[in-house]
Amino acid sequence: MALSIKPGRVRPSGVRRSHENEVVGRRRWATPIWNTVAVVFAVVMFFPIYWMIITPIKTGKDLLSVDPTFWPTGFSTASFKTVFTDPNFLPDMRNVAIITVGAVVMGLAVGFLGAVAVARFRFTGRNFFIAAMLVVQMVPLLSLVIPMFFILKNIGLYDQGFGVILAYLVFTIPYVVWTLRSFIVNIPKELDEAALVDGCTRWGAFVRVILPLTVPGLITTGVFCWIQAWNEFVIANILLSSNDQQTAMVWLTGFSSTPTHGADYGSQMAGALMVSLPVIILFVIFQRRVASGLTAGAVKG
Amino acid sequence: MSVMESDRVPTAANEPKAPPAVRRGVRIRGNYLPYVLIAPAVVVLVGVLAYPLVDLFLLAFQNVNDYLHLSAPSLVRFIGFDGFTKVLSSTEFWQSTERTVLFTLEVVTASVVLALLFGLLLQRVSSWAKVTVVTALMFVWAIPQIVTGTVFRWLFANTGGVADYVLYRVTGDKGWRTHDWFADSNQGLYVVVALAVLWGALPFLVIGINAALTQVPKELVEASKLDGANGWQTFRHVVLPVIKPFLVLCTALSFIWDFQVFAQIWSLRQNSPEEGYRVLGIYLYQEGLGSSHYSTSAVISILMILLMLAVLVFYIRQVIKIGEQD
Repeated sequence: MALSIKPGRVRPSGVRRSHENEVVGRRRWATPIWNTVAVVFAVVMFFPIYWMIITPIKTGKDLLSVDPTFWPTGFSTASFKTVFTDPNFLPDMRNVAIITVGAVVMGLAVGFLGAVAVARFRFTGRNFFIAAMLVVQMVPLLSLVIPMFFILKNIGLYDQGFGVILAYLVFTIPYVVWTLRSFIVNIPKELDEAALVDGCTRWGAFVRVILPLTVPGLITTGVFCWIQAWNEFVIANILLSSNDQQTAMVWLTGFSSTPTHGADYGSQMAGALMVSLPVIILFVIFQRRVASGLTAGAVKG
Repeated sequence: MSVMESDRVPTAANEPKAPPAVRRGVRIRGNYLPYVLIAPAVVVLVGVLAYPLVDLFLLAFQNVNDYLHLSAPSLVRFIGFDGFTKVLSSTEFWQSTERTVLFTLEVVTASVVLALLFGLLLQRVSSWAKVTVVTALMFVWAIPQIVTGTVFRWLFANTGGVADYVLYRVTGDKGWRTHDWFADSNQGLYVVVALAVLWGALPFLVIGINAALTQVPKELVEASKLDGANGWQTFRHVVLPVIKPFLVLCTALSFIWDFQVFAQIWSLRQNSPEEGYRVLGIYLYQEGLGSSHYSTSAVISILMILLMLAVLVFYIRQVIKIGEQD
């Protein structure tokens, strides 16, 4: 990998696109048709989310009608009340928050060091390490769950948040190493060398040059790890058994299959909305960064 | 790596740990530093991945179930390939495999084709329309699989469900108005579950393919147009070769996601999927944690991993090449 500066590749194409229509000579009359198709696609894709937001504020009458009402005729907060009065809802939201933060922080710390190693050094076993990081991501989590269950039982971490944090490292670390690697490779090596020439120690160069320049990458990677950990279900469902230890996803499946709420879609949607809200908010805040992070990791890979 | 780097650590490739006798500051530190840096990752992954995998293999050749595990650990013993013979000769396993393969084929094909079409569409729309689509997709992307299952169960409910209502209004057939999508598991699995999985997968694929398409050099497209190529020819011979690596990635990822589908089925069927929904993931879960046949479940896990490897072997070879490139 020479000193090519890759990030430039994304932006120029964006600039070029502004006069793309004239250059390629696309049929301009067709644009309104394509726009319509695109809007229909966007509406269809967004509809389930709209439905999840609109259902819990409907009144009982609207909820029970055979034909759905696409716009609520009244406003009710009863569904949200049902969710918040469920004794397990808030503790389980707190659990998933703790587990997610733990998995993200540990994953980023450990993965970042590994990413620096593969991006900045050439050493025996490096290629193997990189390939392993990718292949590891293909192992189905489901197949690991039963041995994990036995191992955690043996070391006394079964039914504890910390055990699940450790289990989540199985997907956060490889992902962080792989994604941050491409971020760090793109930091021109002249910068480290300039710092070394100016009298920085290797550690100094790392703290003052590589670390600050990797912050955007750390944020993007952190957001993705956050989403994966927050949304994970299988591991949490098996490794946590008591009601007050479970995560929000496990809570939602339990809540929606109880006889009392099984057909109460108002409160099921309220619960679904509440457990996805932290992830949605995160996406809204980091939208731009997440979109560019995706293309950086996926297209260049 | 750059020339500078290899100058500083000339022996890195052959001697990971130089003897302390040749203490020459930076050089030596450069030798073991990368190993120090990857050590935490390696240690953790050995603990949470390699060790459980070894354990999985041991389990698969033993006869562990709930009774033996709790009450009579002394009766646990190695039974060789008996576990494999038992699973491979059961009709349940082959039915689950068949369902998984059909489901994966269906959803992977639909995902990649639709993502490609919508990715191409995004190249042709005005920027406001593109922003609208990408924003909608970002929201969809954030939704957890369990929530997707819950929402789709509501959308396809037989009372007050949107899908029934839309079909009833479009066809005018009153039968659709209270149609139960889950009564027939074929309909439930290959229509509702497939749609839920597809819905969750499209955001990544469409945004990714669109990004890959912007990497196609406009000059090449223009040149092919000037040479008289029609739209299809330009796509086939100019655009496709450029985005092919990403399409391969999309196919491989979709395969990985769909082959081990679990959460959507689990929440669509309210924690107790009926037999007709038993794909491999559900089957191994129900065997392992529902019936506590841990060893049987381990055998199914290993067979599942082998099936995935068989399909992914080409992709993995490519991935390893990428690892060696830089």
